[in-house]
Amino acid sequence: MTTAISVAGLTKSYRSGSGLLHPAEEAALDDVNLTVGAGTITGLLGRNGAGKTTLLRILAGQEFPSSGSVRVLGAPPAENEDVLRRLVFVREDQAYPEIKVGQALRVASWFYPNWDSALASALADDFGLRAGKAVQRLSRGQRSALGITIGLAARAEVTLFDEPYAGLDAVARQLFYDRLLADFAEFPRTVLLSTHLIDEAAALFEGVIVIDRGRVVLDAAADVLRGAATRVSGPCLAVDALVAGRPVWERRQLGSQASVVMIEPLSAGDREQARSAGLDLTPLSLQQIVVQAAAGMLAPVPGAGFATERTSA
Amino acid sequence: MPEMAGLDEGTPLFAQVADRLAGEIADGGLAEGERVPSTNELAAFYRINPATAAKGINVLADDGLLEKRRGIGMFVATGARQRLQARRRAEFTQRYVKPLLTEAARLGIGTDKLFALIREAGNERESVPL
Amino acid sequence: MSTWVKVARYNLLRPSICLLLPWILPFSFAVGALTARHSHEATGYLLTFFLYFAVQGMQTVGRSLPFGLALGVSRRSFYAGTALLGLALALVSGLVLTALQAIERATDGWGLSMHFFRVPYLLNGPWYATWLTSAVGLLALWVYGLWHGIVYFRWGTLGTLAFIVAQALVVVAGGVIFTSEHWHVFSSAGGSAVGLTALGLTGVVAALAVLLLAGGHATIRRAAV
Repeated sequence: MTTAISVAGLTKSYRSGSGLLHPAEEAALDDVNLTVGAGTITGLLGRNGAGKTTLLRILAGQEFPSSGSVRVLGAPPAENEDVLRRLVFVREDQAYPEIKVGQALRVASWFYPNWDSALASALADDFGLRAGKAVQRLSRGQRSALGITIGLAARAEVTLFDEPYAGLDAVARQLFYDRLLADFAEFPRTVLLSTHLIDEAAALFEGVIVIDRGRVVLDAAADVLRGAATRVSGPCLAVDALVAGRPVWERRQLGSQASVVMIEPLSAGDREQARSAGLDLTPLSLQQIVVQAAAGMLAPVPGAGFATERTSA
Repeated sequence: MPEMAGLDEGTPLFAQVADRLAGEIADGGLAEGERVPSTNELAAFYRINPATAAKGINVLADDGLLEKRRGIGMFVATGARQRLQARRRAEFTQRYVKPLLTEAARLGIGTDKLFALIREAGNERESVPL
Repeated sequence: MSTWVKVARYNLLRPSICLLLPWILPFSFAVGALTARHSHEATGYLLTFFLYFAVQGMQTVGRSLPFGLALGVSRRSFYAGTALLGLALALVSGLVLTALQAIERATDGWGLSMHFFRVPYLLNGPWYATWLTSAVGLLALWVYGLWHGIVYFRWGTLGTLAFIVAQALVVVAGGVIFTSEHWHVFSSAGGSAVGLTALGLTGVVAALAVLLLAGGHATIRRAAV
């Protein structure tokens, strides 16, 4: 599989505070290393302010790195129109000039070689966007819909979404996911989708990258993460017997009942043991796993699996 | 969301897709020689990434349960149903009998009583044709 | 090259350029016509039109750059395309002004002895001089506005203030140098500048426009959206 996006040692610092008097540097991104394979849908996850938007802006050439290397489709994207015309970036807070919806779509069609007008019209209809309406007058949700329409109809080889669903209700969001999948199936491309509504979009992802405080804390295949952590609950003794010597965190106890999250995939033998001991096994959702990763509960191990302290039982 | 089509959090999605298809074949819902839904159709149905759906299909293909006909798609291989049923029979004890015994033991239901319960439930079932 | 044209067309979609701009001239002309009843002097209302060019140049970056960058246009191309639009608008506007000036001459000031399109020294010569001078002037103002717009976009009000102060310093320094008694080379140049014809002045303004163009380009290169 070829690499569509490759980032090495990327750091972005901003001067914070009142500049002249109290110069202080804040690292929005700190030594970020990651690769995204071509033709995949990857989730870019993390808390607000973690650095997802900064990363995406740099990938789209809208912001410049402080240090490190960034390559999209083999070359640095900044000021590079050969790369930029094969890339589309849908951001949450896109500013438009005083034009109408139809004009915005028309202008977009000039700049994207793969633009599909039929798809654009269909999406605009799906979201209820009228061509004659001024973009400045659109509601937040409608603006997001416009961004999504442009992002999908552009059919760009690299498609970046930064929380593109602000103001969209659950029905509209599902529409977005469905249209994204449908068009992705028909016209494969590299998609990087940043979101904090993880469970909604989890099934779309082939890969998952979690960023926290400017650093990559998790970079794994979505399949590996599913079933990677399980909550084991039931009688204390039985729980402890099952998890003895294995990586866990968050042990809770109430009376004779205990609950522990085991961060190792369960074997068939484990399930058998759990069943006979009357233990309850609940897998952690992708969102829960990501939350724990972002909270620093999981040590960063790019690839498969996690690394953390083992309990002594 | 895939949960709406019955997929859950616990195991990798591709494995669940494979299981579902295998179940359909074992039940006879997908006959031998019949075309299996395409990757894109599965992805749209379950609302998952097409690569995940493809992986699920490949699991079954690697197992010889599906065969590829170039240019047309994936089809259920001959003997697939028998093989799956045999496999499920072999797993039957592990998956159903043992848990049954465990739960019965927990509730203090003896083996004789257990047989009686099974017979009773069996008669009920036969009188209500499925 | 075609990217520049696309950027120019994109900017043209803005109502303040395609709708408002063409009406500034008739509006200021109407105001001028009303006051001309009372005096036959050259009215300075034409200046409004020229200043509006600078204003539009200023607004263009802030309004159009974010979406332009989002569409995968480089800053370089965006700047070039926007400057190109200014050039096109300046040439067309200059032509319109020249034509109206000719009519004004032919009708003896629109029957009111108005001197709206005839500005002493600057726009009083043959038609090609009028066209050239007005086009160059409009372009220079557009590019000047552009640079200001970029400065504001990057550094806000404080940055704009610093920029204005810097300009004032340059003007003062220039004034000192070109009139100084000690630096004869420059003062003789300054002296001859006073004796420039309108076309000569146009040449100076053109050179200034090129400088402003370079300055704006240097400033936009690191603009972040």
